[in-house]
Amino acid sequence: MIEFKGVNKWFDKLHVLNQIELKVQKGEVLVVCGPSGSGKSTLIRCINKLEPIQQGEIVVNGMSVHDSATNLTKLRTEIGFVFQQFYLYPHMTALQNITLAPVNVKKIAKAEAEKIGREKLDRVGLAEKADAYPAQLSGGQQQRVAIARGLAMSPEIMLFDEPTSALDPEMIGEVLDVMVSLASEGITMCVVTHEMGFAKKVADRVLFMDEGKIIETGKPADFFDHPQTERAADFISKILSH
Amino acid sequence: MLANFNFMVIFEYLPLFLSGLKSTFLISLVTLVLALITGIIACSMRISGIKTLQYPAIAYIEIMRSTPLLIQIYFLYFGLPSLGIVVPEIQTGIIALMLNSGAYIAEILRAGIKSVDQGQIEAGLSSGLNYVQRMRFIILPQALGVTVPPLLGQAIVMVKDTALLSLISVAELTRSGQTMTSERFMPAEAFLTVAFFYMCIYFCLKYLADWSQRKLIFREVY
Repeated sequence: MIEFKGVNKWFDKLHVLNQIELKVQKGEVLVVCGPSGSGKSTLIRCINKLEPIQQGEIVVNGMSVHDSATNLTKLRTEIGFVFQQFYLYPHMTALQNITLAPVNVKKIAKAEAEKIGREKLDRVGLAEKADAYPAQLSGGQQQRVAIARGLAMSPEIMLFDEPTSALDPEMIGEVLDVMVSLASEGITMCVVTHEMGFAKKVADRVLFMDEGKIIETGKPADFFDHPQTERAADFISKILSH
Repeated sequence: MLANFNFMVIFEYLPLFLSGLKSTFLISLVTLVLALITGIIACSMRISGIKTLQYPAIAYIEIMRSTPLLIQIYFLYFGLPSLGIVVPEIQTGIIALMLNSGAYIAEILRAGIKSVDQGQIEAGLSSGLNYVQRMRFIILPQALGVTVPPLLGQAIVMVKDTALLSLISVAELTRSGQTMTSERFMPAEAFLTVAFFYMCIYFCLKYLADWSQRKLIFREVY
């Protein structure tokens, strides 16, 4: 479903992605973790071409992401992206946020898009907030609207870039609950997160990155309990100690 | 102190002042519309990301902002005829003001567009919205709100700048004051009257600015 073939990326001299080889299967839930600056956000931002790459190839659903001949709009409609800072459109209601792309990109009739939108809002437990503006919602609610916005395009892949890192602790649970239920539905997910509970519960595979390289991958239980490398062990002990 | 002034003369010259006020108003209105168009074009060129459009826009904006308006007016007034282009004073004045205000408006618009969070643009990108759709649905609705007050501020500046056109003998409000001064030698009364009319225009625009701030601008409800 997603394949990285010898991907290299530099920000000026900083080698942010170093010879990445990775395959994500359909329906797989992949958790990416690692210290800040390790390239994990960049890794998933490359999947829908929010970032260019300098070497290698990324293939999603048979489409070469960074090939200029690829229909980028089609590619992006198949991939939902959830940001750390939510990035809802502040001048639109929750429902308008959700229906914007279905109506304008997928050309779904407005009434139909609103029906889907309300379903997705219900799905994330916010059916009654359809007409609320983002600023009237809590952080956790905003992030759930952002997830509903992604889902409304019926993507095959959902990417999450530290979806709970900007949230107050008491709101993390509500967002993770939504993500857990998504994972059980068979949608392919790549999640950059430090939420070990989430990783242990739903991840098929954990990927540990440092300095732009994939250091270690493994089943969550193996990775967290018996890390193979010293760097991973060090990282796990640090996120556990608080 | 006011007793030293002879305000009766002003009533005698009132038709002249009113016709000057009318000219100033019309010149301002026409210039404002043209400057807005110029500003939109210059701003679009500047943010286009295409170098052959970007560089001329930057050059234009920087030249206009770095030189005095009076010099620009004189340059067009004396320079154009020597290039064989003869334009009446009033058109020359409008072109100068349009070019000058257009540059400031371009920067105001650009600031408004840049004020929209890059993350929202990425959110639009990720859901497959194209450039025009991102502009129309995400950027412009938010950018326009924040640009209305500075645009009206620029309009106020521009109205007062039309006074400079009196120096190339355009019959506008300031020119009326100059005419009365030269005929009756009462500069204090004449220019006090002129100032009063500028203030009237200013307060109208200021009222509009305050109203727009309350009505037009989208504000986040915190």
